[in-house]
Amino acid sequence: MFRAILYQQWKWTRLIVALGTLAAFTIPIFSLSGSGGDLDHKAAARFLGHIQSWGIFYPTLAGTLGVLVAIGLWAPDHRGRHVYSLALPVPRWRYVLLRYVAGLTLLAAPVAALVLGAVVASAVSSLPVGLHAYPIGLAFRFALALLVAYTLFFAVSSGTARTAATILVTIAALVVVQILLSAAGSSVNILMPIANALLTAPGPFAIFTGRWMLIDV
Amino acid sequence: MSHAVEIDHLVYRVKKAFSLEDLSLKVPTGSIYGFLGPNGSGKTTTIRLVLGLLRPASGSITVLGHAIPVDAPAALRRIGYVPEAPHLDPTMSVTEAIWFHSRFYPTWDGAWAERLLRDFELDPKRLFGKLSKGQKGKLMILLALAQRPELLVLDEPTDGLDPVVRRDMLSAVLEYVSQHSATVFISSHLIHELERICDWVGVMDNGRLVADVEMERFKTGMKRLKVSHGPSNTTALPFRVLTRTPVGNNGSEMWLVRDWAPEMAPSVAAAGGEIEQIIDLDLEEGFVELLRSFRVPKSTEVAGV
Repeated sequence: MFRAILYQQWKWTRLIVALGTLAAFTIPIFSLSGSGGDLDHKAAARFLGHIQSWGIFYPTLAGTLGVLVAIGLWAPDHRGRHVYSLALPVPRWRYVLLRYVAGLTLLAAPVAALVLGAVVASAVSSLPVGLHAYPIGLAFRFALALLVAYTLFFAVSSGTARTAATILVTIAALVVVQILLSAAGSSVNILMPIANALLTAPGPFAIFTGRWMLIDV
Repeated sequence: MSHAVEIDHLVYRVKKAFSLEDLSLKVPTGSIYGFLGPNGSGKTTTIRLVLGLLRPASGSITVLGHAIPVDAPAALRRIGYVPEAPHLDPTMSVTEAIWFHSRFYPTWDGAWAERLLRDFELDPKRLFGKLSKGQKGKLMILLALAQRPELLVLDEPTDGLDPVVRRDMLSAVLEYVSQHSATVFISSHLIHELERICDWVGVMDNGRLVADVEMERFKTGMKRLKVSHGPSNTTALPFRVLTRTPVGNNGSEMWLVRDWAPEMAPSVAAAGGEIEQIIDLDLEEGFVELLRSFRVPKSTEVAGV
């Protein structure tokens, strides 16, 4: 049963997963290309700045992959208006769990690729004195960010179009209210507390913020 | 008599748009139950409730001894379902769709699936999304039959298909039923098709079950009677008068009756009337007249219903 679900999900998300896996492997390698051995203080700082500029790609890739795979997983069910899947002789909770675990299984590939790419890049690069590579730490953080994005959008995508519409309308309504408040000269900011709650620890998206460094002091 | 499907005082509402009110229905085990009704009468909704896809507001549903929707997965293991519109993954080939489906059914009969695949002349490599409507219908029937169900639930399986495909599909269903004594619950607009294969019939109209009888009784029991000097009150008659319409100026009336049997003719005479003519109706005529009688405004004369 799991194999069948996994196979179906592979068919729907293989392109996304393959491209994501390729990107996860190559980003660490490109980020360290041209790294030198003995660097003075200024050059080392510039090198860290270069590494940091590549850091944006990790959370972006994790978020994009998580969202696209989560949406792709439910696409066949949405197309069939869930009639076929609901008529299968499986309790609904188990069916959802099978889909969720199958998606996680597929997402193991980009995580493994990132581990491999980061380890290879770190191993072949001669790092300036005082700097260290953190391939496993970076990959672990990437995996967590991927898990958050995937889980959140898996939950949203598993619902009906009405659920998704409700979420979008709520967000749009908040933005409209904020615009009206600003136009009226009010100093009240309703979006900032929400953004803070989501983006700072222990908010669910805090994992995406901050520095993503393969090489650091 | 045991029943494969038992629906008792079922209520289901979709806001104000549509409702099933107090629906009770029993599908005898081993029967081929034809479920008739015009578009929007509630056939598909009833079927989805039977499968546990929808949740009723009140009432009870039992399928093969399982309470629905609580025990739906156990019941679905024993049910072959062909939906109104095929809902398989369009990116899967025929072989992949069969393999995918088989993983969910422990009673799957691979050999028979192979045979049906050949009989239906389906291309195993062709994607489901690229199949014609008839081929999709055949594949759905194949999937439903190869899981060796005790109950087949077919929701307008042959709707929009050409006669050859319809015949192939129904032949496969009948062959299966004859070999395995399965129960079939089939909805269709094609009344003549059901007339050939069904031994029991239920008629839905606007969320109500307006008839639930053996096919033979339905066919022989629906008549038009031309009656002269008919009694004003027909409730005492042993059959049901659905409508009565004046014919000409001599006091004759045309009655549409249900539950008629030839030995009931003297009862009309006993009530002071005289039967001038008995007109047979085929299933389609009976179905149309039955629905018409239930839609007659209350002010129109309808007795004994």
